[in-house]
Amino acid sequence: MIPPARPLPRRLGDPYGSDLHEVRSAAWLGLGLGLTFGTCFLTGLWSHLAQDPPSWFTYPARPAGLYRITQGLHVASGMAAIPLLLAKLWVVHPRFVEWPPARSVLHAVERLALVPLVGGALFQVLSGTLNVAEWYPWSFFFPRAHFWVAWITIGALVVHVGAKAAATRDAVRQQPRTAAAVRAAPADRRAFLSGIAATSVGLVVATAGGAVAALSPVSVLAQRRPGVGPQGVPVNKSAASARVTEVARDPAYRLVVEGSVDRRLELSLDDLRALPQREAELPIACVEGWSRSARWRGVPVRDLLAAAGAAAGAEATVESLQPSGRYRTADLNADHVADRDTLLAVELNGEALHIDHGFPVRLIGPNRPGVLQTKWVSKLVVR
Amino acid sequence: MAELPGAGLPETTSRRGLLVGLAVGAPVIGYGLRGAIVDAEDTHPWELARWVIGSALIHDVLVVPLAACVALVARRLAPAWAWPPIRAGLAASGVLGLVGWPFVRGYGEDPTNPSLLPRNYGAGLAAAIGVVWLTVALWAAWRYIRARSRHVG
Repeated sequence: MIPPARPLPRRLGDPYGSDLHEVRSAAWLGLGLGLTFGTCFLTGLWSHLAQDPPSWFTYPARPAGLYRITQGLHVASGMAAIPLLLAKLWVVHPRFVEWPPARSVLHAVERLALVPLVGGALFQVLSGTLNVAEWYPWSFFFPRAHFWVAWITIGALVVHVGAKAAATRDAVRQQPRTAAAVRAAPADRRAFLSGIAATSVGLVVATAGGAVAALSPVSVLAQRRPGVGPQGVPVNKSAASARVTEVARDPAYRLVVEGSVDRRLELSLDDLRALPQREAELPIACVEGWSRSARWRGVPVRDLLAAAGAAAGAEATVESLQPSGRYRTADLNADHVADRDTLLAVELNGEALHIDHGFPVRLIGPNRPGVLQTKWVSKLVVR
Repeated sequence: MAELPGAGLPETTSRRGLLVGLAVGAPVIGYGLRGAIVDAEDTHPWELARWVIGSALIHDVLVVPLAACVALVARRLAPAWAWPPIRAGLAASGVLGLVGWPFVRGYGEDPTNPSLLPRNYGAGLAAAIGVVWLTVALWAAWRYIRARSRHVG
């Protein structure tokens, strides 16, 4: 049934032009936010473990496509959370401006915990979206800021869930604690929540085309098109912006393998090409959520380390020709070194690497974040 | 005098749940705060705090009042049967506009890397908002027809 036309609310207490500021709408949106923020937090932790592993954790090399899924899910669930978060804040907004601001000390504490919850949640989706748009209008290092604010937000979410779990359960079971807390006509609430859910799905479709090629034609806000880029693969950082164009094309290029080895190796590109090659189908999976699979061909890192006489179970640091930058080097743990598909690649899709893909030699391995697939590799330091 | 359970709290807040939540959640908040401060070289804590608090403030004093004004005017103009679809359309358009804005402006473009932000985002955003309002029109038409048939029946 269509709700009858209502007179415009004139009271100061209801200046929103809607009756949705009630417990059931808040409860359903809260459940959706718990799901999306929970997924975001766990997949974000996973990405952090991949990029900054603590000493007690070995980030695995398999399954090869795991990171493209967890990171695709991270960005998609973050996008899905945006309409839910804005709708939820809209629904509960009258609470933010109620008077008196606190009725008891405990109420003041509860409300104080909303500052990190609301500020943190908004910052996470804002900074995440701007990262996907590759726009950084701040001076802090995005991954670290996003990581620590995630903990602050999740902590505040735990406080909030503790406070509201019982009311949420009652509300979705249609047993609200007070009749006054349910104000919207069921059809009106359904229409509102359906619209928000559809917006969430639509936003995911509009942004996920860089990860899911089938969505690309309709993914109008995707950061990437799967086949667009040199050799049909998108590029995260070009040779020009990494300032390696000249040094990467230098005929005097040598790949050095050194550190804890019996024999230091110094190999030209031709030397590398003369070694037994291996081909692997592996994705580039970027933290911004896009990913693209390609055929790579090169020398397995473990073969190079064996040729240099490195011990079994060795680890290695891969260094780039890049003069600077946080991702100039990447670590390979023993699991990644030992994997036969962890390659120093010289070919992509049957051609010599394009310089923007890391010519002359790049690292490509299974289940690694894109920023740790070091390009323009100059050195393997064995540990 | 013994307080009633939940006294001094909103009726939707469980006192016990809040206390348990604080016991578990406050150390997690503390862990995050400590990390953001210890990691100051990367996180620039003061600037980060401005962004976090600023996000909430801009939302509360700018985005919500603006959305409320739009909602009030649109609700006054829209017939009652069309209001829920129009409300959903306004929300969806607003969200798409906010998320799409940095893409449309191309702030992140890198002239040395044409594979980054390769689409015409202005046209794409317009098309997406077009699809939203087409859906709104169909939804509203369905509601109108249903309301009339009920009225007649």
